[in-house]
Amino acid sequence: MKKFLLLAVSVLFSVSALAKSGDALKYLPVQDGGRIKPYDSFAREMLEIVYGKTKYEGREATEIVLTWILSPQAWHDKKIFEVRNHQVLEALKLPKDQRWFSGEELFGNEKFTLLRQELQAKREAQEKLNPYFQALQRLENQFVVFQEVAAGRMLKVMPPKEGEAWIAVADLEGPAQEKFMEMTKAFINNIGAMAQGQNTEATAAELDKAVAAFEDVARANNPALYDHDTKVKAEVHYNSFHPFRWAYVFYFLAFITLLLVWTLSKESLMKAAWVFLVAGFALHSYGFGLRMYIMERPPVSNMYETVVWVAWGTVLFAAILEIIYKFRLILVAGTLVAAFGLVIADFAPAVLDPSLQPLEPVLRSNYWLTIHVMTITISYAAFFLAFGLGDIGLIYYLRGEEKHHDKIKAIVTGIYRAMQIGVAFLAPGIILGGVWADYSWGRFWGWDPKETWALIALLGYLAVLHARYAGMLKHFGMVVTAVITFSLVIMAWYGVNFVLGAGLHSYGFGAGGVEYVSAFVVAHLLFVVYVGVIRAGRKSPSVKA
Amino acid sequence: MIEPILGTQKSLLKRLNKPLASVKLAVFIIIAIAAITAVGTFVEAKYDAYAAKKLVYDTWFMYTIMALLVINLTAVMIDRWPWKKRHAAFVSAHIGIIILLAGAFLTMNYGLDGTMRVGIGESNNLVQTPETDLVVYTSFDGDRYSKTLEQEVDFFKNPPTEKKPFIIPSYEGEIRVVDYQKYVLPSRKVVPAEGGKAGAGLRFQLQNANVNVIEWLVQRKPQALATHNFGPAQIHLGAAPEKSRGQNEIFLTPEKDGLRYIVFQKDTDKPLKKGFVKEGDVFDPGFKMSLNFRVLRYLPAALEDWDLQPAERPTPLTTSAIKIIFDGKEHWVLLNDMVKLFTNNAVYLLTYGNRRTDIGFNLKLKNFSVTRYQGTMRAMAYKSIVEVPGLGDQEISMNEPLKYKGLTIYQASFQEENGQPVASIFSVNHDPGRFLKYLGSLIMSLGIVLLMWFKHLDFKLARKSQTNGK
Repeated sequence: MKKFLLLAVSVLFSVSALAKSGDALKYLPVQDGGRIKPYDSFAREMLEIVYGKTKYEGREATEIVLTWILSPQAWHDKKIFEVRNHQVLEALKLPKDQRWFSGEELFGNEKFTLLRQELQAKREAQEKLNPYFQALQRLENQFVVFQEVAAGRMLKVMPPKEGEAWIAVADLEGPAQEKFMEMTKAFINNIGAMAQGQNTEATAAELDKAVAAFEDVARANNPALYDHDTKVKAEVHYNSFHPFRWAYVFYFLAFITLLLVWTLSKESLMKAAWVFLVAGFALHSYGFGLRMYIMERPPVSNMYETVVWVAWGTVLFAAILEIIYKFRLILVAGTLVAAFGLVIADFAPAVLDPSLQPLEPVLRSNYWLTIHVMTITISYAAFFLAFGLGDIGLIYYLRGEEKHHDKIKAIVTGIYRAMQIGVAFLAPGIILGGVWADYSWGRFWGWDPKETWALIALLGYLAVLHARYAGMLKHFGMVVTAVITFSLVIMAWYGVNFVLGAGLHSYGFGAGGVEYVSAFVVAHLLFVVYVGVIRAGRKSPSVKA
Repeated sequence: MIEPILGTQKSLLKRLNKPLASVKLAVFIIIAIAAITAVGTFVEAKYDAYAAKKLVYDTWFMYTIMALLVINLTAVMIDRWPWKKRHAAFVSAHIGIIILLAGAFLTMNYGLDGTMRVGIGESNNLVQTPETDLVVYTSFDGDRYSKTLEQEVDFFKNPPTEKKPFIIPSYEGEIRVVDYQKYVLPSRKVVPAEGGKAGAGLRFQLQNANVNVIEWLVQRKPQALATHNFGPAQIHLGAAPEKSRGQNEIFLTPEKDGLRYIVFQKDTDKPLKKGFVKEGDVFDPGFKMSLNFRVLRYLPAALEDWDLQPAERPTPLTTSAIKIIFDGKEHWVLLNDMVKLFTNNAVYLLTYGNRRTDIGFNLKLKNFSVTRYQGTMRAMAYKSIVEVPGLGDQEISMNEPLKYKGLTIYQASFQEENGQPVASIFSVNHDPGRFLKYLGSLIMSLGIVLLMWFKHLDFKLARKSQTNGK
């Protein structure tokens, strides 16, 4: 089976690696954000910043962003700037029910200059920016990015003869400029043909040839700096293949199959469930491997990467526990939770930034960093699994405690084991964090909010385990605490960065999504209370009797 | 379970120990620590790490709960005595925590954790730590000062007020600290003072089509020279030399109702221009580029003071300040600043600031370099080349500290001006508890991992004894 999977994956890889004609442009090496990336990634990131999505009206980012450069005036009245903050829209006197606006509406507005000054004053006072000012900052960034891209200053396509900073399109000279112009002409011909619904075979081939010609000139300028062929290829493949998307599709299939096994007692389907699970896990690992290969570092440096990593760990732990206990339920919870995590990572790029970014100095070439982040976040995977099991347990309590006693017992065992695994990773993880802090800053423990909240989560689970030991928590108590205590993990993992926003770990900070995450937590707390009330209501008559 | 037969004394000890060893107490302690530290993180988010430390982590209730934890951990181990094989996990986890806390205690009481800023080409031997001290120097001749008071103060926790001032005795009268502001945005101002002790103050403007500089110059005492360096020329307030010093310079010498000025140029010995100006007057110094020198304000006796704007929470621009009253006059003193107080017989110099500890050797920053991510200003890595007496040149970079004389010197960050690094910030550290912390961590981690295997067993036994007990 594994061989089959390997084969399947390698077929997938080779299929998507076979570039369509007209795709050569995507592979054009570009210097941006402190590294060399394919033009494909550059265009996606720029469109994401401005428009909030990686496609515009079904057209590829690579196409859109190049037309910004070629004819910025054509974009003047197109609604491409995403503004979501209502306060900002109010300040600009724009309708709040609209999400996208044209450059004219936003930046032609004289209010925009005033808002920029307001933001600048705030920055000079070096005060923390609240969500309104963060939104303003984003708007300013959108404005600057569009201007700079359109002016050809952002897209840096040719290595310099000396130094490190690549030459932007606007500064190209001589043959390079000539070849770039030819390339843009071929590009225009190609999209023209596309727009008219003609056969684009010839124009696409023409474009590929023009791109190759430009690359030759660029390479000739400094061959040593133009040596990123395989990485660039891998990255374009990563962009187009979406390994994590495939992974959650497979996890979801596994989940559905497991549901069937579980509800219909169809044991024969169990094999299929395992196949889906392993396929998803292989794709998941493959995506991870690609990110590691492209960035040459373990991918656990921001929220997006840790979410993906935690989903991976959840599946791994669920599979191990399943092999030991054969409870089925553990796999149901594992696949559900992992798919959930990956779906969130895929659909919330504004909060969980999937782009590949270079590291801050303190995070570089550091063995302890990798170890402590991976250990701590993998413990979150175990707690996530316990949480998923807790949710299922609550459903059983709703459906009748007596009837499902065996299932509940199995769930509690799963929860207990998952919590133990979590604690066994989290406690050493926090200590490794201390070792790292000691190694990097000379301070073992500094009450930094991120480390403190990891400790609070640990204390929470330790309290649960001790309370269980002292007999203070029975089965229902375990199910409830599995769900509630996970709020601490959410706080440590997400809340510190997005709610507290302070401390040494500031390199992982971003904004957004607070309302959704809070709703998620509150909904679960309410669910727990609801089940508790229902259960108490059922019990009380029997107590009286 | 068959308990070994113990002496009566021992069993009494065990009975007394029982409530302290309770697991329910442990659950309470764990939740209490979690709750307190959670509050701490919110305080940190709203204010800063210093406030969180002062208000939450470094308080009697935090220490009490930690002490309770140690008692509980010890008691539960006594309770389970004599230990069996299956106790290995829980005993090592608990002993590990106690050792870890002992290490933390050593660090807290005997450790050093401070920062040191060294400019490129400069050297430093002083480490700045968060404790604050009040220091008073006294002089009777205005030249030689002797330290007459040095005292640690914690105004953050115990702020002085008008009603409960902090009193510093001095030879004549007393200096009273009557107010403390945690967060203020300071801006400099100059106020007129009584003649005699105070120097002169001048607010001037230098202006042409490209330049517009407005600055205050205040003499620290009469006859002292106050200087503003304006790139191509220097402006001095004070007595002028006889001859040119080979620089472009303007000297303004205070007199009773105006200033006598004299301008020197780089190439000639002779003064370029001489004259007398009053408040509101303008003159052209006569340099190659035409400039207008305008006297905006002239105070024959002036004192520098701070204009303070209170802020609700700290930003990188805010600082703390104390208000002192001496001889019926009020002065604001910022953190790490000083004030001079005059009487007819003596001069007092009062400083309020972070403690600076001499590390016993000079650290000279010979070179500092930053490498950046290609094509950006984002720092990728940075390193300092320092010279240490007896060691020669050493490199300190991120994650590669220098260890010397029991101290560890880390590269923490750097200061930049106009895109160029100007100074390196080191974190200097002496940690006597390090060994215990690592040892405790190791033992505890081992215990926790072992716990996975033993817990199951212990559980069954515990439940059995519980049912037996009932």
